[in-house]
Amino acid sequence: MLTDEQLLKYSRQIMLPQIDIAGQEALLNSHLLIIGLGGLGAPVAMYLAAAGVGELTLIDDDKVDLSNLQRQIIHQFESIGKDKVESAKITALSLNPETRINIINYRPGEEEMSTLIEQANVVIDCCDNFSTRFMLNRICHNYRVPLVSGAAIRWEGQLSTYTYEQGTPCYRCLYEEDAFNDQTCTQNGVVAPLVGVIGSMQAMEAIKLISGTGHTVTGRLMLFDGMDMSWREIRFKPRPACPVCS
Amino acid sequence: MVKVIFTENLKRHIDCPPCEVEAASVAEALAKVFAAHPRLGSYILDDQGGLRKHVMVTVDNNLILDRESLSDPLDQNSEVYVLQALSGG
Repeated sequence: MLTDEQLLKYSRQIMLPQIDIAGQEALLNSHLLIIGLGGLGAPVAMYLAAAGVGELTLIDDDKVDLSNLQRQIIHQFESIGKDKVESAKITALSLNPETRINIINYRPGEEEMSTLIEQANVVIDCCDNFSTRFMLNRICHNYRVPLVSGAAIRWEGQLSTYTYEQGTPCYRCLYEEDAFNDQTCTQNGVVAPLVGVIGSMQAMEAIKLISGTGHTVTGRLMLFDGMDMSWREIRFKPRPACPVCS
Repeated sequence: MVKVIFTENLKRHIDCPPCEVEAASVAEALAKVFAAHPRLGSYILDDQGGLRKHVMVTVDNNLILDRESLSDPLDQNSEVYVLQALSGG
């Protein structure tokens, strides 16, 4: 049952017939995991807290650095040197004090991550390395917890959602698992609003998944090119020999 | 003619302008592109002739199925797009 304050606070979402009271209640009763509180995780955490997601678990082992502030807009100048999850929690709570926020300032191993994911409604992958991305896909597939995956570097971004429903592909159907080098924003650069574009779309996917409305980009990989402001949509299917989901 | 284009991310490593070729399969199209741009091949293919792990290819925006021998067929006006996996966050 929404309070009068909640009805006012979330009124612009509730008035959308696709969300309505039931969708807002679903958001308030949901628990989402955000892996990585950098460029992508910043808008994801801010939008989801503000939109009324009831509980967020934030995971990142990094600390805020001056070079982060150009794009990681959840962190402020006075947060330099703090754990990113602590800094992100402060900002998210300033947007919405009723959000329950758990923070983990280290990289959980596969067993601990499995326990965390099993308790979540949606996982949002905002990390910066392939080994974590493949691990999240394995665990999310195992527990059938939807995974919203975003990546961004230089002027290009990628987005897809994995619901693990029958007949839909997983992250491993799209990407070959290998020890290839991660291309990090630290080494390659990234234009500031790019992570806002992709992160905002990840938050949008999460809200649709929780409120049960619309169509997610399952089976589609969205590619954004900021240089010519173009989107490309790639379709892909479950791979018959996929070691995770086949 | 089949159009072959490459992701912006690849262009920072090596010259790979869009190309137009006559080809009936992905393998044939890429072979013709690599004949004109010899250094490009080693960025896209491994020493067995299959796609490198971090590279993906689409035909008319559908991910190809055969990463090893690149036998996916092409129509006369197909577009082949070569892209890379991204991990930055």
